[in-house]
Amino acid sequence: MKQVDLINGREFREMLSTATSWLEKSASDVDALNVFPVPDGDTGTNMLLTMRSSVDEAYMHNNSGVAEAAKAIAQGALMGARGNSGVILSQIWKGMAEGLAEKKTINGVDIALALQKAADVAYKGITNPVEGTILTVVRDAAQAGQKCVEDGSTDPISVMEAVVEGAAESVANTPTLLPVLKEAGVVDAGGQGLYTILEGSLRYLRGEAEQMQFRKPQMIASSIPLPVRIPQISQVDEVPFGYCTEFMLKGEGFNPDKIRIRLKKEGESLIVVGDENTTRIHIHTIDPGKVIKYATSLGTLHQVSIRNMDEQYQDFLEVQKSRAVEVDTATIAVVSGDGLAEVFASLGTTAIVPGGQTMNPSTKDILQAVNAVVSDKVLILPNNKNIILTAEQVKTLSDKSIEVIPTQTIPQGVAALLAFDYEADFSTNAELMKEAISMVKTIEITRAVRSAQLDGLSIKKKQAIGLLDGELLAAGSNTIDILSKMLAKMDMNQNEIVTVYYGADTKSDEASQVSESIREQYPQLQVEVVKGGQPYYDYIVSIE
Amino acid sequence: MAVKIITDSLSDITSDLAEEFGITVVPLTVLFGHEQYLDRVTITTDEFYKRLINDSVWPTTTQPTPKAFAEVYDGLLGETDEILVIDASSKLSGTYQSAVGAKEMTEKKGRIEVIDSETVAMGLGLIVISAAMKAREGAGMDDLIKYVKSAINRSHFVVYFDTLTYLAKGGRIGKAKEFMGSVLSIKQILTVKDGEMAPLARKRSLVAGMDYLYNHVGSFRKIEALAVEHTTTQDEADKLANRVKSLEPDMRIYRSTVSPVLGVHGGPGAIAVTVLEAE
Repeated sequence: MKQVDLINGREFREMLSTATSWLEKSASDVDALNVFPVPDGDTGTNMLLTMRSSVDEAYMHNNSGVAEAAKAIAQGALMGARGNSGVILSQIWKGMAEGLAEKKTINGVDIALALQKAADVAYKGITNPVEGTILTVVRDAAQAGQKCVEDGSTDPISVMEAVVEGAAESVANTPTLLPVLKEAGVVDAGGQGLYTILEGSLRYLRGEAEQMQFRKPQMIASSIPLPVRIPQISQVDEVPFGYCTEFMLKGEGFNPDKIRIRLKKEGESLIVVGDENTTRIHIHTIDPGKVIKYATSLGTLHQVSIRNMDEQYQDFLEVQKSRAVEVDTATIAVVSGDGLAEVFASLGTTAIVPGGQTMNPSTKDILQAVNAVVSDKVLILPNNKNIILTAEQVKTLSDKSIEVIPTQTIPQGVAALLAFDYEADFSTNAELMKEAISMVKTIEITRAVRSAQLDGLSIKKKQAIGLLDGELLAAGSNTIDILSKMLAKMDMNQNEIVTVYYGADTKSDEASQVSESIREQYPQLQVEVVKGGQPYYDYIVSIE
Repeated sequence: MAVKIITDSLSDITSDLAEEFGITVVPLTVLFGHEQYLDRVTITTDEFYKRLINDSVWPTTTQPTPKAFAEVYDGLLGETDEILVIDASSKLSGTYQSAVGAKEMTEKKGRIEVIDSETVAMGLGLIVISAAMKAREGAGMDDLIKYVKSAINRSHFVVYFDTLTYLAKGGRIGKAKEFMGSVLSIKQILTVKDGEMAPLARKRSLVAGMDYLYNHVGSFRKIEALAVEHTTTQDEADKLANRVKSLEPDMRIYRSTVSPVLGVHGGPGAIAVTVLEAE
């Protein structure tokens, strides 16, 4: 891996530029995470525009050290801040710039300290900081960086790795802290945006800028089980939201604290940030006229935006209504891996509980999901033999009618889900799904955790091993060989479809090779390759 | 005078069947941009499916006008004084409304009754054919209405979709919309429930899908009539019809091609069976 000891001004700018391009790739995904009431309907877009303004400003100060670059970035962010998240992001940059003042080059220790400062400044800019937002994420990320430094690391990559990991955990945890996120079944959009910026920076430091062009940032999944498509509960809330009012004030001798105190009684979500010459103001108010009138007495207004939030809210409700799906019988599946979660969600699973091999969910995790779905009748697909009993336990803890379909593998879960009959009643469906389990065969390719002599096979540690419906059948160094050996032991004339789900650590090229070799050997079969993204298992193969 | 039976082209009654049973079919219109075609009259099913697959223009459909129905009514009121119109589900098409509206527009006098079949394709077609047979045997209007209303509850239409893209684009997907966007390639099996498309089952392959349709037929104890139809895959539909024949060796199985106005929504590769359960 690339070794970096110090980051200079040019690298700092390049890093932020790369991170901004990285954010651009997932801006619309971040937008999709929005939950009302949010002042800015487009968190991802707003953060991106704010970052672009920062990067533009940074390139105007081309031959400078880190301190000047950071200052330019902060200035650019303030000038170009859009929406709530953009303004908070500009505060994070302001803090970073303060923390990096007078540094020509920086190391990991400097980054950790500056992030700490960034978190402090960001909290101060907000009158009522809310936990479970971008604020929490920047604080947790800073703490993770700090801890890494305390453990003796000084190089930027190690510290940033800790920071990114801390940010990821924090984002995943946001639904636990903020109920509105949990209800909507999403993580916080601003937090996800910040994670993406940090992660993009880390990738730049690692020298991955080239590869990043062909990849997409990862969206963080919630740490608690969230229903996939739980309808938004739209309370009849008569409180009007008023107008989201945003502008930049230019002039002389401003005192942001004084402005903040003066405007505090005019509305909600007040943010006043900046210095004595440039101040950015964001407020949700019933009477924007009053705010504007006051501001014009102080200086000149720029980039004025006043949006009717009640109107936005109505639009939002309409969208939610059209998304809501009534379910008579809910299905809950235990799945790990983004791709597999998507497979289950797209087949109509009501809720996904993250988990699987070596990370079995607790009874409580599954119970939470059972409680969260809007149906009295629940079918649970454990998809792992170690989770079946845990799922059974939930029956005694809930008043809902619950049936556990004893699926031991992902393919069994998919087969069971597909057997669901929309016209059949609850118990018939449970029967149909149980019957479907035997209609599919599962091959799993994973790595041996230790050397062993088992079932007449001599297995070395980390060697690829193949299991057919849980039974160890083959071991070796070449996954393709193992798979074809195992397929050869089955009567493939009896089967029609082979679906290959490849794991998080498996390259898609290799997966295509695998499927190609299956197609060559069995031309009559329909072979499908899906990125399952599951941990530990290089391949999960369904044969039906 | 015998009661005359009218239906619309959503019934998939071919011109041969119409002639055989004395049924009048009022066509809907298929549009490719500004080009208009009368369903199965000025465009054949072959021509249509070729264009559906290859043309960049997305076809749309429109219902017949009340005037079109009124002209058909007046044409028949010379031969009879009683007309029974059986139309496709009013939740899927406005054709029923046009047929009802046209009752007030006729020049000649006579009794005209319009029934919403709450189904479509051969689900409607088999009801129409059986009603036409009863009418020919001399059944009166009141008996026919009673018969048709009972047949509506006995008509079971099940369709295998190779893709749901066409149904979704045409806005007729109804409750089946949750089947959309599947990561795996899935074949969908739908039915018409309460006048709308509704999900029934999902299969991974054509073979499993055809098994499902075959078993659907096998699940009825007494059958009055059977139909198999397709959009583009005649061979597969023929195979299915032969298998179904083994269940009911003495029964005529009505074969049809799905009308262009329905094919717009069904898309290539769709195959359907309809069972008219015996009373």
